[in-house]
Order: sequence, then structure tokens, then C-alpha cells
Amino acid sequence: MAEMILEKQDMAAFTAEINKGYELFGPVKNGKQLEIARVNEVSDMVLEGYRNTDMSPKNLFFPQSEEMMAFKKYGDDANIYKDSLKEIAPRVIFGIRPCDAKAFSVLDQIFKNDQFIDNYWFSKREKSVMIGLGCNMPCSTCFCTSVNSHPFGETGLDVLATDLDNRYLLKTLTKKGEDILSGVSCLKVANDDDLSSAKSLSEKAVSEISGNLELKNIDKKSVLDLFNADFWERVQEPCLNCGTCTYVCPTCHCFDIQDEVFKDEGIRVRNWDSCMSWLFTIHGSGHNPRPGKKERVRQRFMHKFKYIPIKRDGEIGCVGCGRCIRMCPVNIDVREVVKLMNS
Amino acid sequence: MKNLLEYVGLEPGRIHFSWISSAEGEKFARVAKEVYESVNSLGPVKRLVKERVEVA
Amino acid sequence: MQNRTDKIKEIAKRLLDEEKVDLVLGHRKGTIPLKNTPGFAYNKDEVEELLWDGNCRSNLATFLPRLKDKRIAVVAQGCVSRNIVGLIIEKQIPRENLYIIGVPCIGMLDPNILREKVSGEILETKEDETKIILKGSGFEISVEREDVLRNNCKLCLHRNPTLFDELVVDEVREQNVSGRYDDITALENKTSEERTTYFDELLSSCIRCYACRDACPLCYCPVCFVDESNPQWCGKSTDPRDVLNYHILRAFHCAGRCTECGACEDACPMDIKVRMLTRKIEKDIQENYDGYEAGMSLDAEPPLATFKPNDPQSFIK
Repeated sequence: MAEMILEKQDMAAFTAEINKGYELFGPVKNGKQLEIARVNEVSDMVLEGYRNTDMSPKNLFFPQSEEMMAFKKYGDDANIYKDSLKEIAPRVIFGIRPCDAKAFSVLDQIFKNDQFIDNYWFSKREKSVMIGLGCNMPCSTCFCTSVNSHPFGETGLDVLATDLDNRYLLKTLTKKGEDILSGVSCLKVANDDDLSSAKSLSEKAVSEISGNLELKNIDKKSVLDLFNADFWERVQEPCLNCGTCTYVCPTCHCFDIQDEVFKDEGIRVRNWDSCMSWLFTIHGSGHNPRPGKKERVRQRFMHKFKYIPIKRDGEIGCVGCGRCIRMCPVNIDVREVVKLMNS
Repeated sequence: MKNLLEYVGLEPGRIHFSWISSAEGEKFARVAKEVYESVNSLGPVKRLVKERVEVA
Repeated sequence: MQNRTDKIKEIAKRLLDEEKVDLVLGHRKGTIPLKNTPGFAYNKDEVEELLWDGNCRSNLATFLPRLKDKRIAVVAQGCVSRNIVGLIIEKQIPRENLYIIGVPCIGMLDPNILREKVSGEILETKEDETKIILKGSGFEISVEREDVLRNNCKLCLHRNPTLFDELVVDEVREQNVSGRYDDITALENKTSEERTTYFDELLSSCIRCYACRDACPLCYCPVCFVDESNPQWCGKSTDPRDVLNYHILRAFHCAGRCTECGACEDACPMDIKVRMLTRKIEKDIQENYDGYEAGMSLDAEPPLATFKPNDPQSFIK
């Protein structure tokens, strides 16, 4: 682990140096939306006054629609699916928020088990160096500290950057992080003052995150007690069953697989899917095990706060980024639902 | 529907509606010719046609 | 605003007390600024939470078809009352189970316009009939209400409910709106290529969450055409042709029924101006069907659901 200083004025030189062999990704505007995407000019990066991207950056590793395989109808290899996994160039992702990086480390556990590794996810993950940017100004909707995350959390990051006004403190966290920063000439070694101001920024950010959620009772309650609780009837009332919460969420990862055929060839595509949708669970028989809004709304919260913790050793399927709170058309607030689940 | 499709960018002259009775052979021939000439002069359609799906 | 809130609560309490209704459907304060949530009030305590302000953007008519076996009092401004009329005409809800608490409306706020007025996060807002005060860390500004209304509210011609059992305040004066379709006409006058580019760009950020559909009171089909899998009418990926297909068909299904309530645009997480499609259709409906507007009367005959010998047919050869 090393702690170094990057003067903001050296940003262009810094990115030029690490750019060799890497594509630079960072927070940039696409129309009105702020997203983490390929950076053409360093000055395009929106790093001042930036809270977080509108959508979660999960599409970097898990695009909304992604080609998996291709097939042909005729020829020697007719009707044989061929993997169309595309190799991506190595990337440096600068400015991702610790909550999102944490979310991807949760998804790493989900896209891999003892029998299977999802190469579509991991091929992109492995090629990416994540330089996170700690949150000096959490939003009023942030609650990361309640769900095992932190405004300056290090999980899932290779380097953590802290914005010290006119410079960044860069702390390496992994071998990948050390490699990317080693030999970069514009970096200086951080001094004790830098470290202590980073510490106080972190403490200040934590103190600004309002509303500490308790989850202990959710852990204690049985699945069936929670599943059959009366409050779901009220929680679901205003829900429209749109897919906004699931699509903006950094940890929602369900997908649907479709074959798209054109003339004598076709491809197999996976598309984001949403448990809010009726179609998500409809059986070929016509039976739908989640027939109504209540069952669908309940599923999303139970998955994040009960099923994932049970299956993943206490890990929570939510990182407290607050996007669903900001984006929900009818203001279903996950914090309020968690309070009900915990009560 | 015709207005809407043309509004989102389909060229005028590509969509035609007609009501032809089975007894109106002459009208059928005339309309078919008109539709053919109009669509043929526009060339192959691009808008709203999905060939290979565009995905990541 | 406060007088409307007080009166809504008073009526709601009375109706529940007299057991005239099972629940009152209104709006209540959300957990974040500039956001309300639909309020389902079954008792006096829940009625206390109901309110009326510039953030009642959800269209409450959307919830009614699912609740049609209940006796409901519903809070409705002009556009919502027109949607209720439409749902009654289309036999989706029974009139006799409804008590409509009519609210003469002075327009809803556009949170995107308000956010652009300040540089930080808005933490608190206050409003009266003419001014909105925005507060956040390090700023407090006041803006004129009429400058920050939603586009559909600026263009609104029917602020007063068209169907109600009781009004909470006296009717407000209707707006004189000129150039209601100027932007649509401007787009119509462009070339096919320009319009293609316009709509490709407009819809490029669509994530197909279907919030525009789900927020809309006109969309009550048990299974939407995009969710049909046998046959599958519409591809499910983000392919631009499939996205456009969805939006064209959704908009066309609203033809002659849309009340310009703006719920679709309010619900869109990507801030897509989907009304550029629905408004074109409403413009065409008005031009072709004698200025028809949806939801003005229970006796109206929806133009696309009825046949008349003199229906316009210039598009037929």
C-alpha cells in the first residue's frame, strides 16, 4: 500500500501516463445524463461538484443488451452456437464511487460459483483498474454506512482517491493499483497533513449521512415471518411495477436471454430484466407464481435484504447509493421499507 | 397511424391505405400501380426496419 | 395550497366517518424534496397525511382500475378527472363506486427546471400560489411559480375538473394558451431525415423500464403488447428500432384518450420528452375530429372507438 499525491493541475499528464495501453473511463456528460464512460478529453470529466452518476455504472461490465453467442442456419457449422465474447481493451476507471465499487464486488460473488464463471462479466472486470473517488458530499438519499458500505469504502477498488480541494490523495489497495501508479512521474509521496485531512473528510462525510438504518432484526426474523408480514400490502399500494428501481440499481443483475434472428443467422442476447415485471415469472403453463404487485415488490426487497444475506454469508444486496429513492416515480423509499422489515 | 409514422421519419409515399371492393377490378389495378410506383421510386426502406439487432 | 389541503382532509374525514367510501386516494408528502407519493388513506390518521401542493404529479386515475371493487374517494384535478371520465366511458371503473374530490389546479412544478436553478442539492422547498422557495446547503432562492411549471401544465386548457362530486375551492380561471403545438408543427415542417435524427436522439437514452406506460392511466391492458411472448411483437433489447417500435405503439394506443397529464414524462428516469409523440397524435385528433378533447364529458363518443360516415378519410385512396 502506498499513499501518493496528484495535483489536480497534473491531471492531464497523469492520465496521459497511465493511458498507455489503457482506455480511460470517467464521469462524463451524455446529454443531460452523467455517466461513467470513455473519456475523450480529460477536461470532459465532471469531477467537481459531482455526486454520482444518474444510472449505476454496472453497464460497464453488464451492458443492458449484450451479445453472447451467434449461430447460422446453413453451412458446416449450422445450428451451432459460437461464443461471441468480445475482448475489451484494458481500462482505467477513474472516479467511480465506493458504493458502486462495493456493488460490483457483491456481483462478483453472484456471477461466479463453484461450477460456473460468467465470462461476460469477469472478462470486463479483470481488464478494469478501478480508481474510486471518495464522497466528500454525500447526498441526502445516501445510506451507505447502514449497509456495510462507506463514503470512503475500499472494497472493490484498486486505488481510492480522496479529493483534497486542489489535489487528490491516491491510496493503492491492490497489486493492480500499485502497478498502474508505479513509475508515474507526476505523483508525490503524501505527507501526514494530507493523510489527516483525508481522515477528517471521511469522518465529516460519515457524519453527514443521515438516518442510520438498523438491520439486525431482519437478520433475526425468519424468512417466512418477513415473507408473510402484513406491511407488504401497504408498501405495494403506490408501486407502478415499472422497472426503474431495478435498472438504476448497481446490484440488480437479473437478465433474460433472447434469440434475435435475421434471415439465415442470429445471435443470442442477454437483456436486463426486472422482477417488477409480470413477464419475469410467468410460466409456459400460464401460471404466475408472482401474480401481483405485492409479490413482485416484496421479492425485490426480500432479495436484497434477506435472501442475499442468507446465501452470501451476511453480505447485503444493497449498497445505499439511493438511486432508487431519487428515481422512483412514486417515491417508494427503500429506507422506509427496511424500517418496516426491521421493526 | 399514417401521420404518426411519417412524423417519426418514414418517408411520405411509403404508406398507402385503400378500400377496394372485390367488384372494383379497375380500381385495384390502378391503386396497385400507384403504390408500386410510389414505393419503388423511394427505394429500399431503412427506417423502422430491423435487420441485425444492434446490441453491445 | 393550504386551503386545498385542509378541504381535502375535511371531505376525506367526512366520507370515511359516514362510511361512504372504503378509502380516500390522494397525495402525501414524499421522503425527498419535490416528490410526493400517492396516499391511500383508510382512516383518520392516514387522512391527516394527505396534502395538495405543486408536487402532486402522479396521476391517481392510474390506480383506479385495479381497485374497482372498492368504494373510493379520489382527489382529482382537471387532467385526472378527464382520465376518470375516460376510464368510465371505457368501462374500466364504475361511476357509482367513485366519489371525486375535485381540485381546481394551478399547475405542478417541474423538478428538473427547479434543479437547474441552483447549483447544489435542494433539501427543502416551500411554496404558495405564486412563489417557490428552494433551500439547500449554502443557498435559499425564490422563484416564480409560473416560470417553473411543467410544460404540460403551462399548456393546460382544463385546470378545473370536468367531473366531480365536490370541489375543494372555487374554480380557477382557465389559461389562455397560444401556440400550444408550435414545437410539434416545427418538427412536422422538418424533413423526414431530420425527424428521424430527432427521434433517434430523443429515445437513445431509453432504458425500457416502461415507467411511462405504467404511470399512465390509459395503460390498463392485462398484458401489454411488449410483454406478449407468443407471438412476440417487439424485441426486448435496447436495439433502437425496438425502442422506437415500443414508443410509437404506446403513443398510438393513447390516441384520442390522452389528457396531457404529464405522468409519463414525470415518471421517466431518463427525462425523455415522450409527449413529443402523444401530443402529435392529440393535435391530429383535434384537427381531424372537430377539436375533440378526451374526457370532457361522460356522453362524449371517443373518435377512434366510434364510426361516423363523415369521419375524415383523406388518407384512403
